[in-house]
Amino acid sequence: MKNLLYKITCILAFGGLVMSCQEEELNLDNPNALTTEQFWKTENDAQLGINSVYAMFYKDGSFQRWMYFRLDLTSDEGFSQSPWIELADWTRFQYINYNFWEGNVVTWRDTYKAIFRANQVLANVPDIEFQNEDDKKKILAEAKFLRALHYYYAAILWEDVPLVLEPSQPGDLHQQVPVEQIYAQVEKDLNEAFADLPLDWPADQVGRATKGAAKAMLGKAYMQQHKWQEAKEALDYLVIGDGAIYDLVENYKDNFTHLNENNQESVFEIQFGDQRRGGTGEGPDAAVSSTRAQFFAPRGIGWSDGQARYWLIDAFKEESTVDGDLDPRLQHSFFYPDLFEDFGDRTYGREWEWGEDEAWFRKGARDYYRDNEDYYSEVNFRLIRYADILLRYAEVLNELGNTSEAYQYVDLVRARANMAPLAVAYPSIGNDQDAFLERLKKERVLELSGESVRWADLKRWGDLETQASVDEIADRDPDFNNFVVGRNHRLPIPQDDVENNPNLDQHPEY
Amino acid sequence: MPIKIKVILQRGLFMLLCIYLPGNMLFANEGSNKDLEKQIPQFVVQGNVISDTDGLPLPGVTVQVQGTSNGVVTDFDGNYEIEVAAPDAILQFSYVGFRTKEVPVNDRSTIDVVLEADVAQLDEVVVVGYGTQQKQDLTSAISVVQSEQIQKRQSTTVAESLQGLASGVNVRGGGQPGQEANIEIRGLKNLRNSNPLYVIDGLVTTANRDFNPNDIASIQILKDAAAAAIYGSRAANGVIIITTKSGRSGPMEVNVSSKVSLTEIPRYDLAGQEEFVRLNNMAYDNAGVPRQELNLDVNTDWQEEVFRTGLIQDHNVSFSGGGNNSSYFVSGNYFGNKGTVISTDFDRISFRVNTSGEKGIFSIGQNLALSNAVTNEIGAPEAMRGNPMIDVIRMFPTIPVYDESNPGGFGYGREGVANTFAANPVAIANIIDSESENFRIRGNVWSEIEPFSFLKYRLNVGYETSFDNYLYLRRAGSWTLNQPYEETFTNQNRAQSQTQLIENTLTFQEEFGKHRVTLLVGNTYQKDIYEQINGTKRNLLVNSNTGEYFDVLDLGDQAQVGGFRNEATLLSYLGRLEYNYDDRYLLNAVLRRDGSSRFSEENKWGNFPSISLGWRLSNESFFNVENINDLKLRASYGELGSGNIGEYEYLGFINTFGAIVLGEDQSIHPSATQVRLANSQLRWEVLKQTNIGLDLSMYNNKFGLTADYFVARTEDVLFGFPILLTTGNDGGNPISNAATVENRGFEFELSYRETRGDFEYNTSLNFTKLENELVTLGTGLNESIQGNTITRAGEPVGMWYVLQTDGLFQSEEEVQNYTNSDGSVIMPGAQPGDIRFKDVNDDGEITNEDKAVVGSPWPDFEMGWNASASYRGFDFSMNWIGSFGATVYNGYRSIVDRFDDDSNYRSGIQPWTPENPNTDFPRVVRASTLNARGDSDRWLEDGSFVRLKYIGVGYSLPQTTIDKIGMNSVRFSLSAQNVITITDYTGLDPEFSNGNIFQRGVDFGSFPNLQTYSIGLDLRF
Repeated sequence: MKNLLYKITCILAFGGLVMSCQEEELNLDNPNALTTEQFWKTENDAQLGINSVYAMFYKDGSFQRWMYFRLDLTSDEGFSQSPWIELADWTRFQYINYNFWEGNVVTWRDTYKAIFRANQVLANVPDIEFQNEDDKKKILAEAKFLRALHYYYAAILWEDVPLVLEPSQPGDLHQQVPVEQIYAQVEKDLNEAFADLPLDWPADQVGRATKGAAKAMLGKAYMQQHKWQEAKEALDYLVIGDGAIYDLVENYKDNFTHLNENNQESVFEIQFGDQRRGGTGEGPDAAVSSTRAQFFAPRGIGWSDGQARYWLIDAFKEESTVDGDLDPRLQHSFFYPDLFEDFGDRTYGREWEWGEDEAWFRKGARDYYRDNEDYYSEVNFRLIRYADILLRYAEVLNELGNTSEAYQYVDLVRARANMAPLAVAYPSIGNDQDAFLERLKKERVLELSGESVRWADLKRWGDLETQASVDEIADRDPDFNNFVVGRNHRLPIPQDDVENNPNLDQHPEY
Repeated sequence: MPIKIKVILQRGLFMLLCIYLPGNMLFANEGSNKDLEKQIPQFVVQGNVISDTDGLPLPGVTVQVQGTSNGVVTDFDGNYEIEVAAPDAILQFSYVGFRTKEVPVNDRSTIDVVLEADVAQLDEVVVVGYGTQQKQDLTSAISVVQSEQIQKRQSTTVAESLQGLASGVNVRGGGQPGQEANIEIRGLKNLRNSNPLYVIDGLVTTANRDFNPNDIASIQILKDAAAAAIYGSRAANGVIIITTKSGRSGPMEVNVSSKVSLTEIPRYDLAGQEEFVRLNNMAYDNAGVPRQELNLDVNTDWQEEVFRTGLIQDHNVSFSGGGNNSSYFVSGNYFGNKGTVISTDFDRISFRVNTSGEKGIFSIGQNLALSNAVTNEIGAPEAMRGNPMIDVIRMFPTIPVYDESNPGGFGYGREGVANTFAANPVAIANIIDSESENFRIRGNVWSEIEPFSFLKYRLNVGYETSFDNYLYLRRAGSWTLNQPYEETFTNQNRAQSQTQLIENTLTFQEEFGKHRVTLLVGNTYQKDIYEQINGTKRNLLVNSNTGEYFDVLDLGDQAQVGGFRNEATLLSYLGRLEYNYDDRYLLNAVLRRDGSSRFSEENKWGNFPSISLGWRLSNESFFNVENINDLKLRASYGELGSGNIGEYEYLGFINTFGAIVLGEDQSIHPSATQVRLANSQLRWEVLKQTNIGLDLSMYNNKFGLTADYFVARTEDVLFGFPILLTTGNDGGNPISNAATVENRGFEFELSYRETRGDFEYNTSLNFTKLENELVTLGTGLNESIQGNTITRAGEPVGMWYVLQTDGLFQSEEEVQNYTNSDGSVIMPGAQPGDIRFKDVNDDGEITNEDKAVVGSPWPDFEMGWNASASYRGFDFSMNWIGSFGATVYNGYRSIVDRFDDDSNYRSGIQPWTPENPNTDFPRVVRASTLNARGDSDRWLEDGSFVRLKYIGVGYSLPQTTIDKIGMNSVRFSLSAQNVITITDYTGLDPEFSNGNIFQRGVDFGSFPNLQTYSIGLDLRF
């Protein structure tokens, strides 16, 4: 019996030994990443965190790719002949599957990804101790600026969307709010951001949001709501106020290449580079590039999923420079059949081999130094440039009844293109507010075509609100024959989110 | 293992004795003994029974006088003594695992008998995890698959070869070299992964493609929770226990087998050049756009360019033997598969050594397998490009294979000439190399101390490691129209995975009168580690000697490196009680406590009990039905935890990969943030399974039936359902304890075997009916729509959710008359020949709201039928499988029949034209999604099929011949696989496999099963 006990004891002792040293092995840390608890402790964490919000510009739903389909191709400036029918359908108001990723969902997703990142900064950074409190304020202000920027575009595209202001939890069911409330948040964020953002950044930090950028976004948001007085006050800052540090660059082309980036005309510029050659995901080599040029380049060079309507070419040819030449902006805005004849310039070094009534967007194309495109364009996208601000300022002044005041700002823009002053070229406008706006619409196209402002312009001008004005647009862009007034001024909300969120309804017209 | 089992049996003597006496006989005995007392005088025969394999005495052998109920059993030393009524009586010696022997007494008083082992019978001992049980003692649902059945087939993995051999086991494979099969035991019980747990010689592992199926001695499939409970948290999908071969005592036996197979891939019936051109022009004409200038000088058969006859070679040699106290088994295998698609192959070399030995109370054994496997796959850079099964149908016959004017020199689409973004599969095969190689060591060492006959301690230490190499090389060149320029690059990784396993078990086994008790307690510890480093270099240099790129990471630029390490530990305590009262009442209870590193502190541990009961009705005194040898009723209930999630799912983490460009110098600045959300409150997923079954065997065990009904309910299913996009989550859906899934099913296996002289045959039929239901879908979600499927509470997972077609419009009048109840025209844009879709919600237009559940991807039932026969040296066998009632999505047809986007077309279609209105094929229109939309029932088909999975004949040389040449056996075989398929499905293969759980019925470019023709030779000496 003793022997038995001995043997059993031995076995159990051995077994126990093996077990006891193992229990703590169940507590394993992730050796591959910081946990969320470990992060948001230092100034550097805050810096990395705010940078990640800027990094959202490199995601394909954003200004890396598909946003241009929404803003440029859906408008009457562009269209799609993509053989990918569904992709093209989403530029011509044929929305069948509301969950179509490239046409709708990815942009929605990336909008809220950006907002989530901004919310993480805004929730966590206040608790971090900074040596210099101003640095903390700047980071928070940048986060508010970027959050506002993404909500602004959400308001343009979908209008009534959920308002999310806190870092998300997996089970959150966010509450949809009317577009007015989205704009109210945009205004609040931008006003707060303006207070703490710097006027400019040191050379190695250029590209971050500035006071001027905040006021410019604010002006844009007010204008969309026809809050003209508030818009004027916001834009005053950039044009005649303390923030009037901007000027037009001499060479129009400098706004569209990587050779003179972040120049005096740039109010807010999305910084692209070609250093990383990965995709648009969250992997170690995630790209920091734009793919716009690859998708918009002519057939045989790029995917050619988007191209320009030919009326734009004609619009440029309506008026000559003071020297009787073609508007020089035409050369830098489009690839079109007569490019060589008009300017001695070729399309990616090629003779015109495409249709006689076809044209492609040239801004951002890299034909000035290569004959092909790829997914890694380093050309920064000037999201807000001073020429846009000047034309907006003119628009605001005109809306407020100060038409005569407005002329000078349009003339600044025209002068760079060597165009005569507006009053000289179009003396009949005079102080006719409507005529001035009509002219301004054309001026904006000539200056800003293919720069993703047209869709918001059409909405702001009310041109999408009546069948008559839509018919007029349809003359230029037959895709608008599909446009249903009261429906297609905004996108359907991705259906999956609608179905899974009791606090979110699909737009009634969809 | 069989040897080991036999030793236990022999030692176990009386403990096991009663079981093998058919019940009715045992009780009849009592009566007959009384009779015998009256019948005097008697003739007494005595003798000794030994085994043919090791010459050791066999205790517990039933010795019976034929035609009477008079019987005895041999004692511990194999001795018996029996009284017979007549000197010409015939004695019948029977013992489990051995062939029954009949010996005429012929006036002898001493008859010594040598019993021959019966390999098939040995399988009646079932490995149940940390022990074995007699099949008769089982109280839970366990299937046993004969290893010969598996080894007959030409298959890469074990899973593939299990198809149709056991009820409740669904296997779907594919013909790609090295492709691993999906296996599902009793339905889809969770939403992540249906693959069961593999236990090879006690080592918890995976029987993936680098495991040599030729080494298998036996396979047991633990199907219900009570059976699998002992494996706890890893076993919720069922357990496949594989025991590899071991040596038998005696001189060394050498087994050489070799099998060579030709494989053919089924081919699409595509339009030839002429038909393609006609249809393509029609689609352009109907769309009112100018025809493309198709290159009529070219006529490419893309299938001919891409597909080829494959070749599989499987060569195996093994050496086995042993003494009384030791055994060894050594095997080597080469398996080579030249794929049926260009640029694909798979090669495996494997080697195994199993040994065991014992001395006194101590025994020790070891299993070790080494393997090296290399797979070359055709690169698949994008979803619609790079899958040869898709590429061959999208490429036009008018596109040349080679075209010098394109970068890289391959032909593909061209604007206005061939409007397609299809990829040239020959280009991809040449431009991209994708090779993975892994070297695996898998082994375990066990030792046992048996200080008393009733007590045994076992220590099992297992270790498995795999060294993985992966190489991806992208050469210069393009494979599709408008392809963005990409520099050459190579991406490579080196990885190691390890599993460490330590198991301590203590087994107490004793008999108290009619009570027999086995008690097992133990603990197990398992650690899994995976580490990887990877690197990429671009702009590779060309080696001027070979003309090839240097594929080492030293050369090239834009270096990028990465690496990570994942670790997980699992610690478990387990206990099992097996109780048997008088061979009538059986009880089996398991309690397991699991702790996993994959859950947070407060949720790490879970307790999972199970209990199962058996009643051997046929052993009851009142049960006396003629011809029933055995009848047992079983019932079980068990809970199993599953923690089958990523290593660190409950932790939110920071992604530090991001970067932004800043500053006048446009330099890179790092960024970091939380990208993927996490649920910190994750807890164990629990499978609760109830099983009711019966085992019946009749007519001298010739006829057998096993039937089971089960309800398997999985609660707190761990799954990452899509969460709201407004959360901003990316990088994968956070796992949550989301849903409840239930599978109810009925399954049975019928078998019959018969021997008439030299002619032996047996046949078996298995049947599985399964009903899957998603009971609840978790918080906040009403339903989950994925592709064309919907998963909603109360319905099976992944139901078809599409628009319904309702014939074609034949006239403009019909278009105008197709109105909703308010009178508004539903499809005003349609033209005669277009599809009429049902306006389900009656809102006057066709939208997503009109989608409805129209079918199920789940079969109503599945069957397997196996038959084999032998006559003298000849043997024949075949396996049929059938699946009935599933609706599947024909992805092939959704490409070739769509016409809005150009591709090649199906041969022989007759689209609607005003001249040809009597067709169900709509008007073909380029660039119109009206008839082409993928989300309609136009692409759904009945996926039922019956298939001859395997058929083979063999011939073994007669004993006299092989004796002369010094052989033990020589067998030639001819076989074929997948040669007959009966189905209405118009895709390539109704038996396709789709790993996407929600879209299991989508056949979109699945690699089909191959037709395989094999010739084999098997030598033993």
